[in-house]
Amino acid sequence: MSDNSIVSTNNLNLWYNEKHALQSITMKIPKNKVTALIGPSGCGKSTLLRCFNRLNDLIDHVKITGEITLDNENIHAQGTDVVSLRKKVGMVFQKPNPFPKSIYENIAYGPKVHGVKDKSELDRDVEQSLRHAAIWDEVKDRLNDSALGLSGGQQQRLCIARTLAVGPEVILMDEPCSALDPIATAKIENLIEMLKQEYTVIIVTHNMQQAARVSDYTGFMYLGKLIECGKTVDIFEHPREELTENYITGRFG
Amino acid sequence: MAEKFHTELKTTKKETVAMALFGRGMLRDAVDALIRQDKELAASVIARKDALHEMEVKLEEHCYQLIATGQPMAKDMRVIACTLKVINASMRIGRYGKVIANIVKDISDRPHIARLMSIPHMAELTMDMIDDAIKAYDTDSVALIADFSARDDTIDALRHSIFREGITYMMEDPKTITRCTYYILVARYLERCADHACKIAENVHYMQTGERIEIH
Repeated sequence: MSDNSIVSTNNLNLWYNEKHALQSITMKIPKNKVTALIGPSGCGKSTLLRCFNRLNDLIDHVKITGEITLDNENIHAQGTDVVSLRKKVGMVFQKPNPFPKSIYENIAYGPKVHGVKDKSELDRDVEQSLRHAAIWDEVKDRLNDSALGLSGGQQQRLCIARTLAVGPEVILMDEPCSALDPIATAKIENLIEMLKQEYTVIIVTHNMQQAARVSDYTGFMYLGKLIECGKTVDIFEHPREELTENYITGRFG
Repeated sequence: MAEKFHTELKTTKKETVAMALFGRGMLRDAVDALIRQDKELAASVIARKDALHEMEVKLEEHCYQLIATGQPMAKDMRVIACTLKVINASMRIGRYGKVIANIVKDISDRPHIARLMSIPHMAELTMDMIDDAIKAYDTDSVALIADFSARDDTIDALRHSIFREGITYMMEDPKTITRCTYYILVARYLERCADHACKIAENVHYMQTGERIEIH
C-alpha cells in the first residue's frame, strides 16, 4: 500500500479455538494517514484492529501466527513490553467509556500511570490532550466535574484525549461514532482529519460513507480475509475486486 | 434499501434510454424534414422541445434524489455520473434537431441547390454513432464504441468537405449563400451531435471500467 508504513502485517492468521478468524492478512498501514477497515459483521475487522495493540491477548484460546510490526519491530517478539506497546498504540472503542472520575482525572490517569507526578506537567498534558481532541473549549471551566456528565459525543472526544495523553503513535478506533448522533459524528470526523497530522489512525467502521469521508486508505475484509486494500478514492470509485464492488454497492445477499 | 435503490437506478437508466431515443428521434426527423423539405415534420420536431426539456428536468431530479438518498459508490456512482452525461448529451442532440427543424422552415420554400448527397450521408453516420452510444449505455457494452475515434474522424472530414463544397457553390453563385450557409451550419450541428455521441461513449467506458478515456 505504501512504503512509508508504520504498522505492517505479514501472513497474519488468528484462530478463536477452531475458528480461523483472520486468514493470511498481509498489509501495510501508512504513517500519518487514516486507514479504514470495512466489511460485513463478523469479517474480522475488529479482530484485526485488536491485533495491533495485542488486545486479543486478553481472550482465552486465541492463537496467532504470522508477524505484526510496529516501527519495524515485531510486536510479538519475546520481551515486548505490552504496556509500552499499548502506550504507542492507543484505542478508542465503540461506546465512550470514560472512568467514573473527573474530566481532569480521566486525562491525567495515563500520564500518572506512566510516571508523571509533577502537577504542572500533568496540567500541561491534560490541556494539550483536550485541545488536540477538540474538546478543551467545552470543558476547560469544569475540569473537576464528573466525565459522566458529558454528552456522548463529548465523552468520546474525552476518550480520544485520554488516548492522546500518553503520546501514542497509532490510534485505533473501533466504530467510534456508531453510538453518536450526526453532529457529534461530524465533530469526531473533523477531529480524525486533524489527528492524522501527528498520528496514524486506523478506524473500523460499518458506515461506508464515513470510511469514504475520513480515510486515505481502505481495506475491505470478508470472511477473515483482506480482499482488497488501496487508496480510498480507488476503492470507492472503481474497486478491483467484484466482492468489494458488491459490498460497497449494497449487493450482498 | 439496497434493493429499492437498485430498482430505482434501473428505472432511471431505462427512462434515460427513452429520453436519448426521443432526442435522437428529433434529430432524425429534422434531417429527414430537411432532405424532403417537409415543413410539417419540421414543425412536429419543434413541438417536441418542451417534452424533451421536461424529461431532462425529471431525470436529473431522479439522479439527484438517488445520490442524496442512496449515497452511491463504485459502479452505482459511475452509472449515475454517466446517466447525467447521457441526459445532457440527449438534450443537446434533441436541441440540434430543433435548430435544424427551424432551418427547414426558412429554406423549404425553394428547392435545394442540388440533390443533397453529403448531408444525408453524414446524417446516417452520425445517427449510427448515436444509436451505438445509446445501445452501449443501455446494454453496458463497451464493444459497440470501440471504433468511435475513427468514426468521429470520418464525421469531421465530412463536415470539412461540406464546408468546402458550400464555399464553392457560394462563390459560383451568390444567390446560394443563404442556403449554403444553412447547409454548412447543419453539417456543423451534425458534427456536434457526433461529438455528443462520443461524450456518451467516453462515459459508458468510465461507467463500465472506472477508467477515463478521451475520444478525439
